[in-house]
Amino acid sequence: MKVIEVEHLEKVFKIPHEKRNTIFSSMTGLFHPNNYEIFHALNDIHFSIDDGETFGIIGKNGSGKSTLLKLIAHVLTPTSGKITVRKNVTPFLELGVGFYWEFSVLENIRLYGTIMGLTSREIDDKTEEIITFAGLEKFRDTRLRHLSTGMQLRLAFSTAIQTRPEILLLDEVLAVGDLEFQKKCFDAFKKFKNEGVTILLASHDLSSIQRFCDRTLLIHQGNQIGVGETKDIISHYEKM
Amino acid sequence: MMFIQHIKELYKYRNLIWVLAWGEFKQRYKNSVLGFFWSLLEPLLFLTVLYVVFTNIMKVQVEYYPLFLLLGIIIWNFFGRSTTMGLNCIVGKSNILQKVYFPRDIFVISACITALLTSLFESIVFVLFMIVFRIPLSLNILYLPIFLLIGFILVLGTSLTLAALYVFYRDVQFVWLVILQIGFFITPVMYPLSLFEPNILRILVLNPVAQLIQMSRDVVIYAKPPPMPALGYTIVISLIIFIIGYAIFTKLESRFAEEL
Repeated sequence: MKVIEVEHLEKVFKIPHEKRNTIFSSMTGLFHPNNYEIFHALNDIHFSIDDGETFGIIGKNGSGKSTLLKLIAHVLTPTSGKITVRKNVTPFLELGVGFYWEFSVLENIRLYGTIMGLTSREIDDKTEEIITFAGLEKFRDTRLRHLSTGMQLRLAFSTAIQTRPEILLLDEVLAVGDLEFQKKCFDAFKKFKNEGVTILLASHDLSSIQRFCDRTLLIHQGNQIGVGETKDIISHYEKM
Repeated sequence: MMFIQHIKELYKYRNLIWVLAWGEFKQRYKNSVLGFFWSLLEPLLFLTVLYVVFTNIMKVQVEYYPLFLLLGIIIWNFFGRSTTMGLNCIVGKSNILQKVYFPRDIFVISACITALLTSLFESIVFVLFMIVFRIPLSLNILYLPIFLLIGFILVLGTSLTLAALYVFYRDVQFVWLVILQIGFFITPVMYPLSLFEPNILRILVLNPVAQLIQMSRDVVIYAKPPPMPALGYTIVISLIIFIIGYAIFTKLESRFAEEL
């Protein structure tokens, strides 16, 4: 079964030279129209992903990888074309979205877990596991602002992997943290992969793409260069 | 049809709505020594000032004036607080909005719930006053949940409009603050509407918040039923405001993530 189908997807951003975000400037602006820079973030992207597949997206910085993930996550809407997503999407586009700095570790697990789609019972059951996994046993009542960046990251990650994703969107999250943390991440994703979760991984780290992805999409300046076996795509990318 | 589908979708997110609303509610009092008691103290201090001014200088003659005043303050505060929080909630939560998808109006609904929680908390003071003044209760008080529902629909509609517009026009905030300030004076918070001449009165009664305040006073303090034409009018106008707000919000929400 195809769980994600992307057909002739196009995304255009209109970037105004001068941002008008007051009523006053919009009214005066009627007399001298604003110039827009039209930016084609994605052009005619066309691919589909099977259930349980791990799919890589590679390309240089600014090639449109994150835009593509955001479109699939339904955060952005396409300018034209169609995206069909047949299962629930769990986006790991950034860790710790919606953290409250003034709240304790326990309270944040509840908030962040809910945002990531856990039910309150699941959160109750898994709180201890999350805290142990993050190594924050001594800090359960500490306010988040008093934790180090690394601790916050571990907390976010441990909470996020408790979700039961059907489709997982990953945007370079693996690039952060030390080696030990990265290994934990890899183990978690391997587990998801073995459980048959569909994973989309956007990265410019070729080694992780090579290790995980069955098929890969290469985009360059918003254009689809190729989609196919990871090996072939990567050798193509290296020649570019 | 789409609206019913949307309600069903929102129902799936009820836990998130509640967790966000409750989190925001707690956040407000996190760093203050008196904590939740601020919400009791604030209307009380305000009440004292207005009471002194209006009984000594303006000589307002109203039965149970402190209660009259306090109920007005609580309801007006609910309107003001929920719409300012609602106005801010999309722009203020831009980091979540750009990374995760769920129905965007969840933020507005939970902002209004946070404001409602604060107002319900404030109402404790009012209940104490009721006991002190030994106000007899009547069955008319059963209208109160209906007023609460109408009021919630009204602030939700207003907040949806403001939240969506604020994404695109940042001066909406200042315009709204001015409107709220004027609103405070033309709404019968401190005085009964009967002070006005019929010509002006005809315009002032169009304000749904004024109607809600007057009807709540009727049923809670004066133990009489609300005038039915007023009730009907308030329901209709609140629904219209809600429909307009919902329509504006749905029309603009797909552009939020890009605009922020």
